Amino acid sequence: MRRAGTLVIGALVGLLALWLLWVLRDALVPTPRLAELALRELSNTGVSNPVTGVLLAYRAYDTLLELAVLLAALLGIWSLGAASPGFQPAGTVLRGMVKLVVPLLILTGGYLLWVGGHAPGGAFQAGALLGAAGVVLRLAGDARAGLPPVPVQRRLVVAGAGVFVLVGLATMAFGTGFLSYPHAWSKWLILTIETAATLAIGVTLAAAYVGGQPQPPSDTDGPS
Amino acid sequence: MLDSLALAVSVPLIGALLVTAVPGRAQGLGLLAALATLATVGLVTAEVWQQGSLRSDLGGWGAPLGISLVADGLSAALLAMAALVALAVSVYATGYFRRGETDTHFWPLWLLLWAALNGLLLAADLFNLYVMLELLGLTAAALGALTGTKAAVEASLRYLLVGLLGSLAYLLGVALLYTAYGTLDMALLGAAVRPEPIAASALVLMTAGLALKAALFPMHFWLPPAHANAPAPVSAALSALVVKAAFYLMLRLWLDVFAPLVTPWAAGLMGLLGAMAVVWGSWRALRAERLKLMAAYSTVAQIGYLCLFLPVLTALPTGDARDDLLVALLLMALTHGFAKAGLFLAAGLVQRSAGHDRIDDLGGTAQHMPATTFSIALAGIALIGLPPSGSFIGKWILMRSAIESGQWWWILPILIGTLLAAAYIFRVLSRAFNLEPTPRRFVTQARTEVPALLLALTAVAVLGLAARPLWRLLGFEGGL
Repeated sequence: MRRAGTLVIGALVGLLALWLLWVLRDALVPTPRLAELALRELSNTGVSNPVTGVLLAYRAYDTLLELAVLLAALLGIWSLGAASPGFQPAGTVLRGMVKLVVPLLILTGGYLLWVGGHAPGGAFQAGALLGAAGVVLRLAGDARAGLPPVPVQRRLVVAGAGVFVLVGLATMAFGTGFLSYPHAWSKWLILTIETAATLAIGVTLAAAYVGGQPQPPSDTDGPS
Repeated sequence: MLDSLALAVSVPLIGALLVTAVPGRAQGLGLLAALATLATVGLVTAEVWQQGSLRSDLGGWGAPLGISLVADGLSAALLAMAALVALAVSVYATGYFRRGETDTHFWPLWLLLWAALNGLLLAADLFNLYVMLELLGLTAAALGALTGTKAAVEASLRYLLVGLLGSLAYLLGVALLYTAYGTLDMALLGAAVRPEPIAASALVLMTAGLALKAALFPMHFWLPPAHANAPAPVSAALSALVVKAAFYLMLRLWLDVFAPLVTPWAAGLMGLLGAMAVVWGSWRALRAERLKLMAAYSTVAQIGYLCLFLPVLTALPTGDARDDLLVALLLMALTHGFAKAGLFLAAGLVQRSAGHDRIDDLGGTAQHMPATTFSIALAGIALIGLPPSGSFIGKWILMRSAIESGQWWWILPILIGTLLAAAYIFRVLSRAFNLEPTPRRFVTQARTEVPALLLALTAVAVLGLAARPLWRLLGFEGGL
């Protein structure tokens, strides 16, 4: 019964895919759509990497809300109760590797953050590396995944969206409109937002991996 | 330059960030953020009232490169309803949740949900709407699981997965539209869309995704358990606001973006699903054993009523009759928002006081809480559609328009649904008249009972007796 249902769903999805291919047969010719316009306006954004231009200038409002989505996911995880107990402390070899890898991850994260202005990189990539550093630490037995105490964690996870929205309100107050960076400032405003976002994303991902609401300090020492 | 549209999204967002960072003061800060959000929404509504419609190009890029926010009468009215309901829910939550664990989890998620709602009602960009739908779905599912019981977590997980499926179907539609027309702005798309297979596929995919999120029959299966098992303030917000946001988006797509594509047959199919939702939802509400489950099934029926408007709207030519029908649709949505929120808040109090919400055993409890029982009765009047509630006017105009446009058969589900609604409401109310001695006090806990009462009262008296400004807000002549 269950198997038959799965087959039916699979067949329906297959039919949908065929239908979409047929529908798209004319539309899939490579036309520039908005890309041309985006490249033409890039000099007004303050960055020279078109992807960062889209994320932090043209569609900055989307990015602000995506940071809020990340925060919502973490808050949801925290609301579900305590984390599972920590992992075993790492053996010698793993500990040695962690000592090597974690600083490298953080360094690479910082590099990606800076380079995002003119080449592939940016806050999400850098934050993902920071989060990965947290995951590695947690796997090696750190119950808190290398994160600071709970009250600090709470401030860090809101930093990204917080700085972003405050920049938006500041530009509104100075008369250019919500998230309209003044031309001379745009590079530095984008960098400020991206730095805060990197920290927030890194902490959010690591905390999400820990997977439970932050414990009071006495419980979080774990095996060390 | 004060950008009220951007403020209406950023103020609740800032509130959410603050209560996350300072959990010890979540309640005070949360209430403050709720009041501030209501003030910004008031500003938006006042500006729409004066200027007709608002548009704000965020970042100064403008469509098609940037993202814009827009507000017109329809979005402003829903925005105002959402803000009033959300404020009532916030005040109620201060009395409902005990300080501590649940409290610190509730406020950040709740304010994020509010920001997402406002963002969704103001959005003018299809991809931005996808982000809003995700934020709304995530926060709604997390809030629904806050009671922590197995049933609630299970129902919320299903809700989350169903919501994701809906969002992805919607996103697939957005991708098709961008491929075909090279823009995501709804106004530009509305001008560019032609009746061709790719646009029709997008319409079908997006409508299916949103119908799943709006719990339109037969895709309502996830709603009753999710709404019935959530904490009462959350149930109120989910039923009154979140479901309606998905319907609002569907309406925008059908009326604005895809207007050239909508055929009488497509609209008729939506009407048929709506009719089945009305009958089935009302029937299940009548058969429900628990008060909150009854309220949840009644939401399924109410979404059905809103879909009944679609075939009649498409059949009517532009003019006064169509304007009236649009106001009636809005009036139904607003009335249901207030009434259902009031009903769920009151049901939560009954449940808390009695320790259960089995309708058959509610006798004494209901009688001990006169204000709460009165709220249930008032909300019930609005759900049935008795005068002077807003839904009475809404149903009246819908039936009149159905006859005028030669589609008299849509009257049947309205009549059946109204009859069943009267039955399920009076089934609850009949328990309130036992032989228990009459209590001396009308209100027992003001912080929780008064918000419920005010919401129900708004649905019955304010919206019904003072519906006229809605015509003006939507920029129409006429009125009742």
